[in-house]
Amino acid sequence: MPISRPRVAVASLLVLPLTLTACGSGGDGGGGGSSADGKPEGTITFQTWNLRAKFKDYFDGLVKDFERQNPGVKVKWLDQPAEHYADKLSAEAGGGTLPDVVNVSPDLSFPLAKAGMLTNLDKEKAAARFKGEYTPEAWQGNTLPGLDGSYAFPWYLNTGPLFYNKALFRSSGLDPEKPPKSYEELFATAMTMAEKSGGRTATLANTPSIEDFGRYGVQLMNHDATRFTYNEPKGVELLSKYKELYDRGGLDPQALTNSAEKSGQKFLEQKVAMNPGGAHDLETFKKNAPSLYRELGITDAPNNTGKPNMYVMGLAVNEHSAHKAAAVAFAHFVTAKENQEAFAHKVAVFPSTRGSLDDPYWTADDGTDEGRVRVASAKMLKGAVNYTPVVMSDEMKTVLKNEVAKALQGRKSPRQALDDAAAQSDKLLERG
Amino acid sequence: MPRSASRVRTHRAVTPWLFLLPGLAVVAVFSLYPVLSTFSKAFTDARTLTGGHWVGTANFRGLLHDEQFWVALRNSLLYVLLVVPFTVLLPLLLALLVQKQIPGVAFFRAAFYTPVVASVVVVSLIWVWMLDDRGLVNGILHVLGAGPVDFLGDSWLLLLSAMALTVWKGLGYYMIVYLAALGNVPRELHEAAAVDGAGPLRRFRSVTVPAVRPTMVLVGALSSVAAFKVFSEVYLVAGPTGGPAGQDTTLVMLVQRTGTGLNGRVGYASAISLVVFAVALLLMLLVLRADRTDRKEKY
Repeated sequence: MPISRPRVAVASLLVLPLTLTACGSGGDGGGGGSSADGKPEGTITFQTWNLRAKFKDYFDGLVKDFERQNPGVKVKWLDQPAEHYADKLSAEAGGGTLPDVVNVSPDLSFPLAKAGMLTNLDKEKAAARFKGEYTPEAWQGNTLPGLDGSYAFPWYLNTGPLFYNKALFRSSGLDPEKPPKSYEELFATAMTMAEKSGGRTATLANTPSIEDFGRYGVQLMNHDATRFTYNEPKGVELLSKYKELYDRGGLDPQALTNSAEKSGQKFLEQKVAMNPGGAHDLETFKKNAPSLYRELGITDAPNNTGKPNMYVMGLAVNEHSAHKAAAVAFAHFVTAKENQEAFAHKVAVFPSTRGSLDDPYWTADDGTDEGRVRVASAKMLKGAVNYTPVVMSDEMKTVLKNEVAKALQGRKSPRQALDDAAAQSDKLLERG
Repeated sequence: MPRSASRVRTHRAVTPWLFLLPGLAVVAVFSLYPVLSTFSKAFTDARTLTGGHWVGTANFRGLLHDEQFWVALRNSLLYVLLVVPFTVLLPLLLALLVQKQIPGVAFFRAAFYTPVVASVVVVSLIWVWMLDDRGLVNGILHVLGAGPVDFLGDSWLLLLSAMALTVWKGLGYYMIVYLAALGNVPRELHEAAAVDGAGPLRRFRSVTVPAVRPTMVLVGALSSVAAFKVFSEVYLVAGPTGGPAGQDTTLVMLVQRTGTGLNGRVGYASAISLVVFAVALLLMLLVLRADRTDRKEKY
């Protein structure tokens, strides 16, 4: 039977999507990009994570300096908003448009590296020679389990102090100059505050996160990061204590759903007594809550391990970059000691280059509040650990949060909740 | 056959398609391709960064054992059951109120329509502030000697709050739809009924409702599909985890949670999307079918 013209047209339309499917799947595909050993040249793209609004001049200057030193290279700076950054990266990676140099944290670089999209810096001679410029912990922070190597130049580090409201401490009969240092002290403080305020003042606004389990001393994963182990007895103990705290009003009633922003807002409104934050929050307190600012206490996050939590940022190089030599040179340039220190002077973050934190800027208190936070945080960085397992996806974090909520609501025992969370996360991990 | 006649015939067959081609290309790329891609990916183990392999019905079998899926399905269906009756009836009553041409009625029409044009994010934030444990509503309850009510901490109250927000935001839109329908109801029918002694309630039941019945069916069909696919309101009120312990997650929220990000399980999320598609289609057919059966019985 001959095929009529309309049928041909319809058939063509049906074939088109299938053709597109074939083109679109699998992301970058193909082998590696250009050589990293050659002379840096060509136009490269550089993507940061929500930095344009406040640091445009710094990055414009940085790009200009690099282009002056490397006349054959042009750098196109892109910046993405903080929200849904992982989605943006996945769209870029899937569409084959991942920038040549990209701002990532280890948990973001893990899936990209696993899919073969990031350069293994330890295996790339042109990049590995810079390894000695960074602190060993920072370089180690960008190595990924099962992938044998570091996948990003270490960039800035951060660790947050814990803010507390001295007035609320005082009104509960607690010494505002002696904030809790360990989890045991934290629980005792929270119980007292709940009791004295008749349940009106909570100490914390959030349920325990994976970092809390880490700081409490819980073994989060097995040695080769193939199985979650936070359901071990110590994890159950932590969750049981949180359950008691929740029942007695030590946690905000909306702790099961509060986001970080919401918790910050509740601290600002003086509804909760303690909240984690950073030096940048000081300006907000000064402007929006002067009465809170006058009573603001700053301390380290409670810790049972002696090792505070640290957030690690890095600059990765696209494995399929057409100008890998330029990309490696630029990523190193941005993360070089002088430039990292200059950036850390502009914002309350800390350089990851060897010897930088010995500078008096990070060791001597200049009497200002910002200085106090800076010095306290820099001190915390020594021996700090990135507790968030790099293999833990957002979905796994949601699984944990939801199971923790079930335990706090009394719908499951803490043991059962953690067993279920670990089992679900293991299954997700297994599926890759 | 003369050559020119054959050319004319060819032109007649081909030319319309050439004109249609740009439009068809857009539809193919932006509508057909995503739909077909969802269908094909639902039977694979595709991840965000990998194409995936054929796994047959494994994703659908996985759904049967996924506790979160059943919670989400329950919530989405509850949304339809509780939201749709209100979105069908309340806007009709509102339209009857603002239908009359009296001084100042334009102000009320505009006021009722305002939430429709306001961003869902802004509207949700306002509701969250109002329903907060120390928000406006609890403040009023406190003055009255009641409360506080944990609107944003209790999973059922949270879901009901999101439903109330959806109804409130949609009122103005459907009110406009009903206003257009009410404008077509012959005034003589009302007058005749009034002469026969029918009161306002009787006239509403016997004249207005039958006249706007097709519009009510349309509103029912549209709002049931919209309610089943709800995302923004619940996401913004309940938070990204879907309320306490994820108990307020809806199906579209589950699609977003499982299918996005660098570790997104695209195949699994596609399977959930197909369930959403199938149930939405079923709901639409049920509403239309119920309307047809009802009309057959009447005439």
